[in-house]
Amino acid sequence: MAQDSAPPWRHVYRWDLDKTYLDTHFEELKSLVRIPFERAEDKVNVPGSACLLRELSSDRADESPSRVTIISGSPRQMRGVLEDKLRLDGVSWHEFHLKPQLRNLRRGRFRALREQVGYKLPLLLRSRYELGLAVGETLFGDDAEDDAFVYSLYADILAGEVDESMLRSVLDAAGSDASAVEQCLKWRDKVVQSEACSPERGVGSIFIHLDQRSPPAVFEAFGPRLVPVFNYFQAALVLFARGHLDATSVMNVTRAFLEADRKPADQLANLFQDVMRRGYLPASAMQELGMAVQERADRASEAEVVWKCVERAGDLGASRLFRDPTELQDLDYLAVLDRLRTRSGRVQGDDPNSRQ
Amino acid sequence: MGGDHGPEEVVKAAARLSLDRDDLRTILVGPADGLTGLLADLPYDPAALSVVHTDQWVRPDTPSREQLVEQPDASILLATRLVAEGRADAAVTAGSTGAAILASAEQLGRVPGVRRACLAAVIPTERRHGPRGDPFALLLDVGATLDATARDLVTFAAMGSAYAAAVSGNPNPRVALLSNGAEPHKGPPAVVEAHRILSGLDILEFAGNVEGLDIPKGTVDVVVTSGFLGNVVLKMLEGLGEVVADLTADVRARKYLQGLGLLLLSSGVERVRKLLDWESYGGAPILGFTRPVIKAHGRSRDRAIANACKVAAKAARSDMVRTVERAMACLPAEEPSP
Repeated sequence: MAQDSAPPWRHVYRWDLDKTYLDTHFEELKSLVRIPFERAEDKVNVPGSACLLRELSSDRADESPSRVTIISGSPRQMRGVLEDKLRLDGVSWHEFHLKPQLRNLRRGRFRALREQVGYKLPLLLRSRYELGLAVGETLFGDDAEDDAFVYSLYADILAGEVDESMLRSVLDAAGSDASAVEQCLKWRDKVVQSEACSPERGVGSIFIHLDQRSPPAVFEAFGPRLVPVFNYFQAALVLFARGHLDATSVMNVTRAFLEADRKPADQLANLFQDVMRRGYLPASAMQELGMAVQERADRASEAEVVWKCVERAGDLGASRLFRDPTELQDLDYLAVLDRLRTRSGRVQGDDPNSRQ
Repeated sequence: MGGDHGPEEVVKAAARLSLDRDDLRTILVGPADGLTGLLADLPYDPAALSVVHTDQWVRPDTPSREQLVEQPDASILLATRLVAEGRADAAVTAGSTGAAILASAEQLGRVPGVRRACLAAVIPTERRHGPRGDPFALLLDVGATLDATARDLVTFAAMGSAYAAAVSGNPNPRVALLSNGAEPHKGPPAVVEAHRILSGLDILEFAGNVEGLDIPKGTVDVVVTSGFLGNVVLKMLEGLGEVVADLTADVRARKYLQGLGLLLLSSGVERVRKLLDWESYGGAPILGFTRPVIKAHGRSRDRAIANACKVAAKAARSDMVRTVERAMACLPAEEPSP
């Protein structure tokens, strides 16, 4: 299933696993203990995640394939079961990174067990460097950890917006250990001096699955490039508007919600209106989808959802905010980090293992 | 959009309901951008919420009638229109009572036989009511029709009885007129005449007149009065509840020994405070229209508005309006004026 060849890619989709792709609960001790013993078929998806990933990675006529990268904080010992789960879901991937938790434990790097920035950022940069191409990327994470922060920092590095001293300050403030800081700086240098660094063809969208039901305003500081979504129906609509999915793919994701998740059409229409109200969907996207659905007599259930979405769009009248995802804003990472840490109660210094 | 605290509290209530109640869907009517901005700061479930945009709403400083004429898309008009069109099952507002009544009359229409609408409030009582042992009685009208005729009072009695039967599940609610004495001849002419008519009806359990002191005792299940007097009684009871809460806090803060005494009585004081806590009772149904309309207190915070929405859901599910319609159909025709 894993492929090593390097064809010219049309796009790169990078996914986190726990709480982004898989509906994992590790807040309760009982659930945490159960995780290592779960079989692939016991693992539960976040609704719509498998379908969306399949649609994104499916081949399109006359286009290069897309590349799927998975970077998860799960321990490497779980590789077998996680790969089996992805195979069961019919998902193929090109890179699959898991966290060396046992090695961190053996070496006494207790901080690294929990740390996300120092783990994910060098991996992302290295992967991009090894790709050696300026190709668009879309990233998927969740609100349980630092995905929004790491992904935005990575996106700005690719865009050439983060110099060495700024990155060092941010990593220090994030509490990354010395070796992680060195790795990040090393791969940043390599990326910015290569063809992989491109302000135009870098990270276009970051989707944050609101697994913890965080208020969307928490992510406001990251700008319109980052889209907080309550589920993958919302993500599919935005991806359609941004040209990553066609109408058939959106209908497939819609069907997954209608059948597997048993979401009624009314609720899906409300989810559509929510993401539109928040400015991530232009009105034209719904018109296009409506026209495409009209031609598909075999998709009556999905068509009902689309028509209800059209009704909800009408409810907003002329009051339609649209936030252009290409309009980037300067991010003060230190301030953002401070706010996120304060919110999650993980203020620097609270953790006795924060420095080694 | 209405209410003394603006849309913030309404949005908080909707967000709270979206997470707490799987069975409710809320449509917020107001400026979409503003409501979306308020929602974005809160945890909520978007599947349970939607917005109908309007940038018109009734302001408290100008008479409602003129504003509704000038603003055809005022939020209360749109909300009641959504109910009339069947997109919503009930309307809830913390805004102007007058505007709610005018908009409901225009968009929903009155139940046949109802000349004037009335506002019914639940009042905490010492005695419990109905098969579920509800700790409150119904007081109506509390402000919709300030000067009620005898016929209006009879209509209110029939609607109050039907509401108590449908929503509280009380099959034979005892209904009384509020007066200054139990005797049939006591009270203003409209009350005396209403007493005469109600005494001759067998469609409801008429218990005669009750006095003010009977309201908190809970002597009957439904107390009927004019909107003017009902509003005065309602506000007095609310004020009493707040005074109890303030006095308790004051004593706790200032007098150690009295505070200690209060501690010994704390369960009783808490019970009184809970009984008089109007926010926990939600909103007051405006009776007389063909769909449920619930008026939340103008001072409502999110908890009170969320409770008003729960009352609305209960009214819609219990088919309260059909029960009112049946009760009105059983009332004898209005006697011609002499």
